[in-house]
Amino acid sequence: MSGTALLQAIVDGILTGGVYALMAAGLTLIFGVMDIINIAQGAMVVLGAYLSYELSAKAGIPLLPGLLITVPVMFVLGVGMEFLFMRRVREADRAAMSILVTFAVAILIEGVLTRAFGVDYVQLHATYIDRSIYVLGFYLPWIYLIGFGLAVVLLVVLYWMLYRTQFGRAVRASLQNRTAADLIGINVDRTRMIAVGIGVAVTAVGGFAFGATNAFNPNSGYDLISRLLAIVILGGLGSIGGAMAAAVFMLVVNDVVAVAWSPTWAPMVFFFALVIVLSIRPQGLFGRSGVRAQ
Amino acid sequence: MSALLSVQGVCKAFGGVQALQACELEVHEGQINGLIGPNGSGKTTLFNVITGYERIQQGSVAFNGTEITNAPPDRVFALGIGRTFQLTRIFGRLTVLENMLIATQRRESWLRSLVRRAGSSAERRRAMELLEFVGIARLAGEPAGTLSFGQRKLLELASLLVADPSVLLLDEPAGGVNPTLIGHLADRIAELNRAGKTFLIVEHNMEFVMGLCHRVTVLNQGSMLVSGSPEEVRTNPAVLDAYLGGAGDGGGARDGGGARAGGATREPAPPAREPAPPAREPGPPAREPAAAPAPAAAPALLTLRGVYAGYGGGDILKDVTIDVPEGGITCIVGPNGAGKSTMLAAISGLLRVRRGEIAFAGRRISGRSPREILDLGIALVPQVHSLFPDMTVRENVEMGAFTIDDRALVRKRLAAVEELYPIVRERAGERAGSLSGGQQRLVEFARCLMLEPNLIILDEPSMGLDPHTREIVFEMVTLMNRQGRTILLVEQNARAGLRLSTHGVVLENGMVRLTGSGRDVLEHPEIGALYLGGAVTADAAVP
Amino acid sequence: MIHPGARTAAARPPGTLLRRGLLGGVIAVGLVVLGIFPLVVTDPTATSIAFFTVVFMGAVSAWNIFSGYSGYLALGHAVFFGSGGYAVALAARDWHVSGGWAVFGLLPFGGLIAAAVAIPFGLIALRTRRHTFVVVTIAIFFIFQLAAFNLGFTGGTSGIQLPFAPFSPTTYNNPFYYVAAIILVLTVILSWAVRRSRFGLQLLSIRDDEDRARGLGVHTRRVKLAAFMISAFPVGMLGGLYFYFIGQIFPQYAYDPLFDVSLALMGFLGGIGTISGPLLGALVLESLQQYFTQKFSANGLYLIIYGVLFLAVILILPGGVVPGVAGLVRRWRVRTQRQSAEAADAAPRGVAGAIP
Repeated sequence: MSGTALLQAIVDGILTGGVYALMAAGLTLIFGVMDIINIAQGAMVVLGAYLSYELSAKAGIPLLPGLLITVPVMFVLGVGMEFLFMRRVREADRAAMSILVTFAVAILIEGVLTRAFGVDYVQLHATYIDRSIYVLGFYLPWIYLIGFGLAVVLLVVLYWMLYRTQFGRAVRASLQNRTAADLIGINVDRTRMIAVGIGVAVTAVGGFAFGATNAFNPNSGYDLISRLLAIVILGGLGSIGGAMAAAVFMLVVNDVVAVAWSPTWAPMVFFFALVIVLSIRPQGLFGRSGVRAQ
Repeated sequence: MSALLSVQGVCKAFGGVQALQACELEVHEGQINGLIGPNGSGKTTLFNVITGYERIQQGSVAFNGTEITNAPPDRVFALGIGRTFQLTRIFGRLTVLENMLIATQRRESWLRSLVRRAGSSAERRRAMELLEFVGIARLAGEPAGTLSFGQRKLLELASLLVADPSVLLLDEPAGGVNPTLIGHLADRIAELNRAGKTFLIVEHNMEFVMGLCHRVTVLNQGSMLVSGSPEEVRTNPAVLDAYLGGAGDGGGARDGGGARAGGATREPAPPAREPAPPAREPGPPAREPAAAPAPAAAPALLTLRGVYAGYGGGDILKDVTIDVPEGGITCIVGPNGAGKSTMLAAISGLLRVRRGEIAFAGRRISGRSPREILDLGIALVPQVHSLFPDMTVRENVEMGAFTIDDRALVRKRLAAVEELYPIVRERAGERAGSLSGGQQRLVEFARCLMLEPNLIILDEPSMGLDPHTREIVFEMVTLMNRQGRTILLVEQNARAGLRLSTHGVVLENGMVRLTGSGRDVLEHPEIGALYLGGAVTADAAVP
Repeated sequence: MIHPGARTAAARPPGTLLRRGLLGGVIAVGLVVLGIFPLVVTDPTATSIAFFTVVFMGAVSAWNIFSGYSGYLALGHAVFFGSGGYAVALAARDWHVSGGWAVFGLLPFGGLIAAAVAIPFGLIALRTRRHTFVVVTIAIFFIFQLAAFNLGFTGGTSGIQLPFAPFSPTTYNNPFYYVAAIILVLTVILSWAVRRSRFGLQLLSIRDDEDRARGLGVHTRRVKLAAFMISAFPVGMLGGLYFYFIGQIFPQYAYDPLFDVSLALMGFLGGIGTISGPLLGALVLESLQQYFTQKFSANGLYLIIYGVLFLAVILILPGGVVPGVAGLVRRWRVRTQRQSAEAADAAPRGVAGAIP
């Protein structure tokens, strides 16, 4: 296996890692704020992909502008999910119940998508999707660059929101000390709801990137969520920076293994890595031990 | 008699807080030992260390001559030391009888345990006998979660007895239990003791402790203060000091005037680390006139009338009526379990009152949400640290004005607060979580001032602080008051709190026992009795 | 000090005899129905639905032995189902077992393989708690699924064929059904035996307060692992049986995430931690699901219904049907007891038996 192939794999890994980082950041944000693992995140990415598909194939709206529609739609979906379901879960059994609730939402989404679109695989199309630019001896597919670029932009926006806006402060405050947040007058319930909405809204972008680079059908959510879970837990539940680092790491390893060994074994590496890390450090690489649900 | 259980030189720290300091304790066989001490003195930590729930690096614990330092909980239990918890722990979804059968599983090959029925007839018989002994046998088939609070305590005790431990560590067995049951509980303990069991009991209920125990040990700030018979402990002035605060001040009355200034006789003068705001003396001259005449002269900003409140069906506050005069500093003191925190929770809207009314500036606030109460001009600084640890000091203070949209106004207020609390400016960019306890308190004060509240409620502001930092905190309290804010203060450190207050209230067992000017309450002869057992016969309102 | 009547009153709350009689009656009726169902209802569609239902009733009961009693939500039992299936398929192929009754003899082997798989699985997963435990079970599940796709001996995506069963076409389903029924009955007996044993009590104490259980001398790690293995065995057997019935096994079917979720849903619907709850849940849901698939075969619809049902159950009946009903019955009983006690009672308090 040549050095260039290896480097190419690393570059690919970084680029796709960026997109996964975005989706994982959304997942870990939801966990940080709600203490809930959103199993439906994968299904939502697929939903986002289908929305983009519908808009482009049926309404003729190109993929990128279509995001202006899909992102708000997914935001509303997230808000609705929090308001209708997550909020009603009793404090006592939060851990198990929330996983089941979000699993149920995932099944629901899959069912709706199957009814609407059937089980055939589709993929998003645009002129730039199959093209690459050739830079310094590497092929950089346009779609990966766009996806990565979008992810970076959104992560920056997310960071800015969290650290520079009043709302972001409210989110961080609710995260760090709920009682104090209550006492200052922060509407913790509403803050959480919006935070979940944001966490889900990012799946619209993830859906675009995912759908453009993979053939997908309603069932594709499972594979996705398993990877996202692995990433988020590896990075440490609640740590956005950890999720980002873990995403890039995992994807690079995945791509390198795919090139160096075999593409079919690559996904297993994901899970083995996760299992090994958790055996040694149950709270993940950057997780706060003892603070969160252990 | 050599000691059955002996603790030597145990030190245990949590983060920056030293919970146990060269702690020593001896429990002799066949005795009922009481372990008392003010809040934060380390009693439960000591229990946790003995029973293996906390590890220690320094010191040793020995049982019957064998070293059991850092032994895991199951081994400690197997050796014959059983323990109950402050917050009663039982297996809620199992029946009462099943709860009893868990502890019999010692020394059983687990393969056999798979096949055999849970609890042989002999074990069940014994379990039922024990349930009868504590008095809850008729509930044997009920899920343990349906038991009342007092019944759970009995179950927790009984389930330990099944394993026939030789030593029983009981953590607040009488806490929150109604009076008829307490007598029953004391009888059971005495009977078990006559049968040969040794007890070490942590309790705040002084009547219970003094009446039952052969020997009482007092813990203060992590080490043993004194140990002796109940009578010796009760009359020891050092013990009263420990509870009322201001260690080493000497008991008894104080003179008025100059000697009050910040406890200047004993406490080291606070250095100029916090660049002092003008007129550092916590102005007795300015306040004296307010202390002497009856507090009722100032109109009451906050009133409680006939308030009953509590958690989970039981009332902790019973018929509480209090006036908090405007412009003054009112201090609520009282022994543990008296209901101080419950009262604050009720005022700030975190707890609904069952009966009675709370009014602020003439308007009813009982029943309103915390946010509404905040908007009315009441700020609460809770007992536990309430800063946002990962935000900077400046961000934390700014968050105090979260509800204000006008950023210019916020900046103006921030500047004013920085004048009062230079620490905000000095440590503006640092992570709030990295500050010491006392510094965090000051930042919390700064934060609550951002909304310019009329009433500031402080829940044990000096908790966990060393004497020097406490002084600074109290100075700041006085300063805020002089700026025209009414302060309602709950203090564990009764002496220090009452000293700087214009008005004092003593709560005991959920009821108001004494009211009056700060000084009068502190010097009241009954206050020692209130803290260390012996009930006050009638509500003593000091004119 | 001891109230004379207390002993007998405590040991025999009113209505016990009636309750026990009712329970015995229900069990008897259930067994009879179980036994004669395929003889009465001969329609093959109906009997195949019955078969699937019985399989799931057994699987959920077994799952409940671990997750219900210990409180650790395991979402990876498909690992045992699929592993048992592959074990039987491979054994049938490599040991040249011909189709027919002989294959049923391989089922315990499938169970053993599943229990063996449970050991490393459990050792890794049980080091964690709550959220992480659930996710680890999911992760390990995916490892197995991917392994099945990739490893040579599992036949990859095309899977493995199981031997053809030369049963008479009209009653083809019946042998499978009866074997499933036997496994179900054995599993329920196992569940009941565990529940009343010391081991079961220790499991339940772990569910309520693991740290305190440790403090009282329970060897929590051993107990949890043992329960995990015990719950794996029947699921492995049922997996072997299931795929024998289908005739072939391949990865996405053997390791199906929906299986994991179904077990949890059925358990929660009926009442997790009880014995009858899982049976009820599986009975209702699996027959419904099979009915939908047979009638509509519109995959999406039953998923939607599943999802909605799931949400409804979790949000409205978080304890499940059986405990919900049991709670109502108890409250009614307490109320009537209290009424009769108030009517008859004139004795002074202060007697030990009347603790407030």
